[in-house]
Amino acid sequence: MTKDDASLPGFIRRFLPSFSGQPLGPLLTISLRSLARRRPQAFERLGEHRKARFLIDPTDLPFAFSVVPDGPASIVRATGKTVSEPNDVIIRGPILMLLGILDGTLDGDALFFHRSISVSGRTEAVVALRNAIEDAELRPSDMLGIGGQLAHIADTGILGGLAFARRIAVGASVEQGHTHDR
Amino acid sequence: MTGNKRMELVCPAGTPATLRAAVQAGADAVYCGFRDETNARNFPGLNFSAEELAAGIRFAHHHGKKVLVAINTFARAGNTDAWRRAADTAVRCRADAVIAADIAVLDHMAQNHPKTRLHLSVQAAAATPESIQFYAQAFGVRRVVLPRVLSVQEIGALNRAINVETEAFVFGGLCVMIEGRCYLSSYGAGKSPNLNGVCSPPEMVSYVEDKNGTAAKLADFTIDRYEPDEPAGYPTLCKGRFNAGGKTGYLFEDPVSLNAGSMLVSLKAAGVTALKIEGRQRGKGYVTEVVRAFRKAVDVAESGGDAVEIDSILASMSEGGRQTTGAYRKAWR
Repeated sequence: MTKDDASLPGFIRRFLPSFSGQPLGPLLTISLRSLARRRPQAFERLGEHRKARFLIDPTDLPFAFSVVPDGPASIVRATGKTVSEPNDVIIRGPILMLLGILDGTLDGDALFFHRSISVSGRTEAVVALRNAIEDAELRPSDMLGIGGQLAHIADTGILGGLAFARRIAVGASVEQGHTHDR
Repeated sequence: MTGNKRMELVCPAGTPATLRAAVQAGADAVYCGFRDETNARNFPGLNFSAEELAAGIRFAHHHGKKVLVAINTFARAGNTDAWRRAADTAVRCRADAVIAADIAVLDHMAQNHPKTRLHLSVQAAAATPESIQFYAQAFGVRRVVLPRVLSVQEIGALNRAINVETEAFVFGGLCVMIEGRCYLSSYGAGKSPNLNGVCSPPEMVSYVEDKNGTAAKLADFTIDRYEPDEPAGYPTLCKGRFNAGGKTGYLFEDPVSLNAGSMLVSLKAAGVTALKIEGRQRGKGYVTEVVRAFRKAVDVAESGGDAVEIDSILASMSEGGRQTTGAYRKAWR
């Protein structure tokens, strides 16, 4: 799998909203703080690095996320692509790959070694974040703060949808490659 | 020691979630360590608290699997409490074995916990019948993890000369120096796997991107530089690419990973008791995929076949994207 294989196809990107007016930051902040209250141990592995600022930049989306994973004081902001403030870590890659690392479907190390994602900044903070995410075994329902049967339905639906999206993205990439070949 | 028992598949776990993944993927035993400098994989966010270890051991035992606890760094003179505490805690958590290299840790175990199995860590670099028999006689060591410098023929000869089980690495990062005695990391970053539990400590590692690609640095040393689509690796001095004598190249060793998946039958014939997968610092995806592949390969080998297709299955899991059988298939002797 090359670095572009899992990028969102162009026809999907055209439907994505532009950066301005994103409500994602406040929503993700609430979600992350709620997760910290329900599962504080998920943040313990971060140690001192919970105060680090991570810029998560999905290369196939028109915006990025600035994340400080400080437990109940966590902050997530949707930002533009231009890096305007100091970040401890910058992680870049196709959104479906970044989500695959988050839900444990993909191996972040393998993606990094094969240059499918890029990482720069404080390596110890990246390593701590990666290990914390690995052990947390986050499901979509954890981020949505729901439980019971509804959580099962949400997890099955969202993870199935992401797997389907990855297949579509890889298929579109192959299709594009063939077009270029011709 | 030679025998006809099925080879045991020993798999890494850096977190409780990875321990569960390894057990579910088919590990016979899982090895792990505490969240401090008593083990040789002391990375941020990695490893186990005492409570996590106890829960992990309960989980493994419930599934009929073993947990081996690595306390395999060398205790510092005048400050041995962390190592004593780690050994006592591992036993209290009902660990199936403790993996140690330092004679102080081995002696503490032998004196205070004689009923707990002792495995000699690869960090002890014991590769001769004399050194292995010393550890067996002095501390009751039951198994030795072999340094990755021996050919299969040498392992066979060694096994015929000792009465201790042997465990051989079959996959993962390949340490090319004499383990337990390498201070390259200390030279570059002030910390070593032997004393601090970490080779190339991540707080000293950085990846710097520019228009020509990515530079991997350890402290002030540029260890390697990668073109934009070239497979990258974690910057260790022994696998760095340097300019010397007017040439650029890997002075010590290419950044390849060990994969002895095609040699399982030979290792069994050489009398190896257990096969070890490296990678406590790697994630669940790696552990699941590698353990599952080796489970299948070991089962095939035990039933008389040889699973050579494992090489292609696991190529994407290798640091640097390249694999080797290392010293096992030495052709120059």
